[in-house]
Amino acid sequence: MANTGTEQLSADQNDPKIRAAQEARLEKAWATPRGWRYWSAVNNTEIGFRYTMTAFGFMLFAGVLGLLIRTQLAVPENDFLSAELYNQVFTLHGTAMMFLFAVPIFEAVAILILPALLGTRDLPFPRLSAFGYWCFLIGGVFVCGSIFFNAAPSGGWFMYPPLTTEQGGLGADIWLLGLSFIEVASIAAAVELIVGVLKCRPPGMHINLTPLYGWYVLIVGGMILFAFPPLIAGDFLLELERAFDWPFFDPDRGGDPLLWQHLFWIFGHPEVYIIFLPSIALLAMIVPTFAGRPIAGYSWIVLSALGTGFISFGLWVHHMFATGLPSISIGFFSAASEAVAIPTGIQIFVFIATLMLGKVTRSVPMLFALGSLAIFVAGGLTGVMVAVAPFDFQAHDSYFIVAHLHYTLFGGMLFPLVAGIYYYYPLVTGYMLSRRLGVWAFWLMFAGFNICFLPMHLTGMLGMPRRVFTYSSDLGWNELNLISTVGAFIFAAGFLVFVFDGLRPKSHRDKAKRNPWNAGTSEWVLEIPPKPWGARSIPHIESRYPVWDSENFTKRYDEGRFYLPDAEEGRRETLITSVLDAKPVQCLRVGGPTWITLIAAAALAGVFIFATYHWWTATAVSGALALAAIIYWAWTGTAEHPEKDEKNIGMGLKAPLYVSGPRATGWWAMFITMTGDLTAFMGLVFGYFFFWTVHEQFPPPDIDGPGWVWPLIAGFLLCGAWTLTYGARIWNGRGDVILFRLALLGGVLLSVMGIGALAAGPWSFGMVPTEHSYPAIVWALVLWTGAHAAAGIVMQLYCLARSFAGKLTPKYDADIWNVTLYWHFMGFTAPVTALIMGGFPLVA
Amino acid sequence: MSGCAGVQSVLDPAGRDAERVYNLFWIMLVGGALIWTLVLGTAIAATLGLFKNASSRTANVLIVGGGVVFPTIVLAALLVFGLGLLPSWRADPDRLKIYVHGEQWWWRVAYEVPDGDTRIISANEIHMPTGQPVEFVLTSADVIHSFWIPSLGGKLDMIPGRTTRLLLEAQKAGIYRGVCAEYCGTSHAHMAFAAVVHEPDAFAAWLDARAGPAEKISGAGSELFMSSGCAACHWITGFAERGSVGPDLTHVGSRRTIGAGIMENTKGNLERWITDPEHIKPGAQMPDYRPLPEEDIAAIARFLSELE
Amino acid sequence: MSDNVEKEVEHETGEGTDLWRVILAPVIWAVHFLVCYIAAAVYCEKAGRMADLLPAQLIVGAATLAALGGIAFIFHSLWKVRGVSTVNDNYNYAGSTPEERHRFLSHVALMLCVLSSVAIVYAALPAVFLDICR
Repeated sequence: MANTGTEQLSADQNDPKIRAAQEARLEKAWATPRGWRYWSAVNNTEIGFRYTMTAFGFMLFAGVLGLLIRTQLAVPENDFLSAELYNQVFTLHGTAMMFLFAVPIFEAVAILILPALLGTRDLPFPRLSAFGYWCFLIGGVFVCGSIFFNAAPSGGWFMYPPLTTEQGGLGADIWLLGLSFIEVASIAAAVELIVGVLKCRPPGMHINLTPLYGWYVLIVGGMILFAFPPLIAGDFLLELERAFDWPFFDPDRGGDPLLWQHLFWIFGHPEVYIIFLPSIALLAMIVPTFAGRPIAGYSWIVLSALGTGFISFGLWVHHMFATGLPSISIGFFSAASEAVAIPTGIQIFVFIATLMLGKVTRSVPMLFALGSLAIFVAGGLTGVMVAVAPFDFQAHDSYFIVAHLHYTLFGGMLFPLVAGIYYYYPLVTGYMLSRRLGVWAFWLMFAGFNICFLPMHLTGMLGMPRRVFTYSSDLGWNELNLISTVGAFIFAAGFLVFVFDGLRPKSHRDKAKRNPWNAGTSEWVLEIPPKPWGARSIPHIESRYPVWDSENFTKRYDEGRFYLPDAEEGRRETLITSVLDAKPVQCLRVGGPTWITLIAAAALAGVFIFATYHWWTATAVSGALALAAIIYWAWTGTAEHPEKDEKNIGMGLKAPLYVSGPRATGWWAMFITMTGDLTAFMGLVFGYFFFWTVHEQFPPPDIDGPGWVWPLIAGFLLCGAWTLTYGARIWNGRGDVILFRLALLGGVLLSVMGIGALAAGPWSFGMVPTEHSYPAIVWALVLWTGAHAAAGIVMQLYCLARSFAGKLTPKYDADIWNVTLYWHFMGFTAPVTALIMGGFPLVA
Repeated sequence: MSGCAGVQSVLDPAGRDAERVYNLFWIMLVGGALIWTLVLGTAIAATLGLFKNASSRTANVLIVGGGVVFPTIVLAALLVFGLGLLPSWRADPDRLKIYVHGEQWWWRVAYEVPDGDTRIISANEIHMPTGQPVEFVLTSADVIHSFWIPSLGGKLDMIPGRTTRLLLEAQKAGIYRGVCAEYCGTSHAHMAFAAVVHEPDAFAAWLDARAGPAEKISGAGSELFMSSGCAACHWITGFAERGSVGPDLTHVGSRRTIGAGIMENTKGNLERWITDPEHIKPGAQMPDYRPLPEEDIAAIARFLSELE
Repeated sequence: MSDNVEKEVEHETGEGTDLWRVILAPVIWAVHFLVCYIAAAVYCEKAGRMADLLPAQLIVGAATLAALGGIAFIFHSLWKVRGVSTVNDNYNYAGSTPEERHRFLSHVALMLCVLSSVAIVYAALPAVFLDICR
C-alpha cells in the first residue's frame, strides 16, 4: 500500500457539487430509521443515547429506593417500611446502582462518544452493542420490576449464601438470572471497546496519540474479561444450588460459603475500578480543555490507568477481612490495597498539575470536576484507612464503610459523569445545557451529598452497623441519621434540577456553536448539530490536540479531504487500522438497522426468565428461538463477500474489504469473548481446588469417581475434535474443500462422543451431585465443558452449512478461522477438565 | 449530639484492641484531613490562577513527589504498623473460652472455665472479666452472622461450617453493647446483646452463681410455663430440660435485656414478647401466645423474671 | 538517536516495544501475588493456625526474588532503548512517528516496572512481619 503522504489532496474534493453529492450518499447510508423503525437502529449514536437514558432511568429508580432507605432511617424505631420491605429496598438499591447504572452508564457513554473521539463512524460491531443494550433493558426491568410484586431479592447486593440459598421465594433467582443479562451486555461492551480502541483508530493516531479516554476504556475492557467471569461462575454455582440443590455452599454437605465470597469479590473489587476509571477518563478529557493546554503528564496517566487496572485485582479479600482468614493472607491484601493508592493518586496530581500550568476557564464541567476531586480524595483517604486491616475490623459492615463507598462512587463516578454530560451534551445533541441551572444543580448536589454522607463516618464509628432497618433511640445516632436524611433529599433536589435541564424541550435551550468549549481533541471538529454519519471524513491524525495544533485541520475535515469522504456503494463503512501505528489495513463495512438483535435478546430473555420460574418447556423453546436468531444474525450479517477485493479509501490509498484470520475484527471478537469465557472456567477450577484446600480430604474418602478412564477418553475425543477443526481450516485454505467438509463432520462426531465420555465418568460411578460438593463440582465441570462442546458442534455445523451454501470458500474463510479459534480454547479447557476430574483424585 | 461516648462506640474504647485502633484512627484522621486540605487547596489555587509562574519542572515535582514518593513512604509505614496489630496469638488452655453460636436472630452462649469440663450455658448476654484475654469461639449453623463489641475490639464473622476465634481483652469494667454485624435476614437489626465486663473477682462470683439452677423456681407461672409448651423449646436447668431450640432461660431474670438485646428486661416487656414475638422481631420463630389469658402471660412473665 | 534504538525500530513495519511487553511487569506482579497468597493460604489451612510461618515465608522470599529479578531484567532491556520524546525533550511523547510511539511504550513499560516492584515489595512485607498462621 503506497503512502503518498498526507498533503496530496484528491482533485475531486475541490468541487462543491461533488462534495454535496458525497454528503447525500453518506446521509442515505447512515440515515436513522424513522417512525417505529427507529427501534431497529444500531448506530452508536442511537444505541448510546438509548443506553444512557435507560441507565439513568434505573439510576433514578435506585435513587428513589435510596430516599426510601433514608426516610425509614430518619428517626429511630420508624415504621415507614417493614423489615421485609426494607431488606428488599436496600438490596435493590445496591443491585440496581451497581449493575444497572454504574457499569451500564460507562458502556453507554463509551458507545456514544468513543467513535467521535476516535474520528470514526461507528463502533466495529454495532449490532453487538444493540444486542447488549436490549439484554440490559430486559434484564434490568425484570430485576427492578420484582419489587412491585414483593418478590425483589433481599439478600443484599452481594447475596451471601447460606442466607441466599435458604431464602424461599424467587428474589435470589431473579437477581441471579437477571444479572446474567447484564453480564452478557458487559462482555459485549468489552469486545467493542477493546477492538474499537486498538483497531478502529483513525490513520496516523499512533498509540501514543490515543485520547486518554480511549486508553482508559481499553484497560477497562480488559479488566471486564477478568472480573465479570468469576461472577458468572459463581452465579452458575449459586443457581445450581438454589434450583437443583447442588451443595456448593452448604457446609453440611461439603460446601463452603466462603467460596461464593471469593468468587463474588474477585469480581466485586475490580468492578468498582471498572466503574471509576471510565469516569475519571472524562476528567482527563475535560481538564485540558478548561486549562487551555495539553494534559501535563500523558505518560503518567497511562501508567496510572494500567497500574490501577492490574493492582485492583489484588484487593478482593479486603472485603473479607472479618471472616477469620489467617493474618498473612489478610496482610497480602492489605498490602495491595495500600499499593493501589499510588497509581490512583498519580492521576489526581496530573490533573492538578495541568490546572497549575494552564489558564483555567470556569464552566459547569469544571465545577463538577473540582467537586469530584474534593469528594474522591476524601473517599480515597478513608480507603487507605480501611486498608489497614485492624482498623477495618472495627469499620467493616458499619456506616463508616457506607460513607467510604459513597464518597468514592460519587467522587469517582457520579460527579465526573455529570461533568462529562455537561461537556459532551453539545456534541451529542447540538444544544447547551443551562449554565445557571448547572451551577444550582452542582451546589445542591455537592452540599446535599456531603450533608448526607459526611456524618456517616461518625455514625459508623459510633457503632451503627449496616443493613439495619431501624435502630434504638438511646445509642446516640438519632441526630446524625436525621441530618443524613435531610442531606439525601437536598442531593435529590439538585439531581432533579440536572435531570430537568437535560430533558426539557429544546425550544427553551441555547443552540451550541461548533466546538463550544474551544477544546483541542479531534472529536470537537464534528459538526454541531451532529450528523448521523459522525465524521464527514475519517481524519488523518498527527497530534493529540489536532484542533489546537493544526489550523487546516477543521477545513480539510469539512472538505472531506481525509479518508472515506463518500459512501459510493451506499454502505456504512469505517476504517480498521493497525494496533500500534494506526496504518489502514481494512475498509470495514458495519451493520445497519435490523430487528434481529432485539429478537435474539428477547429470546435469550425468555430463557433466563422462564428458567427463574422453572418453566422448563418454555425455557427450551426460548433457547431454540435464541439459537435460531443468533444463527440467522451470523449468517446474514457476518463474513459477507464484498463485490470487489479492495476499495479506494481516500488520500490515494486502497484497503481490502474482506479480511480473515488474526487481523480480522471478528477474530478479535472471538478471542476477547473466549478470554472472558476462559476466566469463568478458571473460576470453576478454582472452586474445585478451593474445596480441596478447606477439606481435610478431598475428594472425600467415601465418594468414588469419576475414575481416570472416561475422562482420559473424553480428553482425547475432544482434542481430536479440536485437531480436526484446525485441520479443516488448513485444508479449506489450501482449497481441499472435500477434506475440509469431512474433517468438520469428523469433528462433530468426535465432539458428540466426547460429551458422552465426559458424562460417562461421573455417571458410571453413580456420582450424585446433591450428595456432596465433590460430585457437584465434578458434574458442574462436566456441564460447563459439555455445553461448550455443544456450542462448538453448532459452530462446526454452521461452517459446514456455509461451505455447502457457497458462503465459506478457500478465499472467504473468516467463519472457519473464528470457529477454529473457539476450538483452540476448547483444546485447552477440555484436557484441563479431564485432567482435573480424572487425574487429581489420583494424586490427592 | 452525644459526642463520641457510648456503649457501642468505637470512639469510646474499653478494651485493648479497641484502644489501639482508636489511637491509630485519630492519627489517620488528622493525617488524612491534612492531606485532603493540601491537595484540594492546591487544586483550587491552581484553578484560581495562583500558580502563574509554575514551570513544567514544578509540575513534575508535584506529580513525582506527591503522587509517587510521598504515598509510597506513608503507605508502607501504615502497612507495617497495621501488620503489627494483626492477630498473632497462640492457643492457651488456661484461657477462659466463651462459645457463641449465632442463630437467626439471637445468640447461644456457653462459658468454659480453664480447668473445668463443663460448660455454663446461657443466651443473649456476655459476661467477661477485665485484664485478661478471653477467647470467643464463634460458630453458626444457619447463615453468616458477625460478633462485634465495638467498645472492646474488632468483629469476627460466624460462618456455617467454620469455627472462628476472637481474642478480646477488656480493660474497663462496665456494660457495653454488642451487635451482629453481618446481614443475616429479616431481623438482623434486632440481633444484639449486652456485654457486661466485671472486675475479675466479681466475674468469678457471677460465673459461680450461674453454674447451677436458679434459686427460685416456683409460682403459678412455672406450671403455666410447662403446660403452655414453653419447655419444648426453652431449657431451664433443674426444671425444664427437654428442648433447646430457643434461648436458654435458666437465669433469664438476671439479664439486662431480652429478645437478644432489643428490650429492657422488665415484666412488661416479657409479657409483650410472650404475647407476640413476631410483632417485635419480624420473622422470629417463636409462635405467639395471644390465645393465652392475660393473667397467665403475666404469671409466666413473673416466673421468668424471678429466675435469677 | 543511538544505534541500539535505530535497530529497535522499524519505521514501516512498526516493531519495537509492544503492548504485551508493556504489561509484562504487572503480570509478574500478579503471578507473584497469586503464588504468595495461594502458598500461604494452602499451607496455613493444612498446617493449622498454630503453625509456624517459615515454609510460607521461604516461598514468599523465593517468589519475591524471582519476581524482582524478572522485572530487573525487563527494566535493564528497556533502559537500553530509553529515550526522551523526539519532539519535546520531555517524557510526554506527543510526536507522531513510530519511533516516538516506541519510546513512549518503552517509557510506560519502565514506569510500570517501578510500580510493579513497589507493589511486589509491599506484598512481601506480611511474610516479614508475621510469624504464625493465626
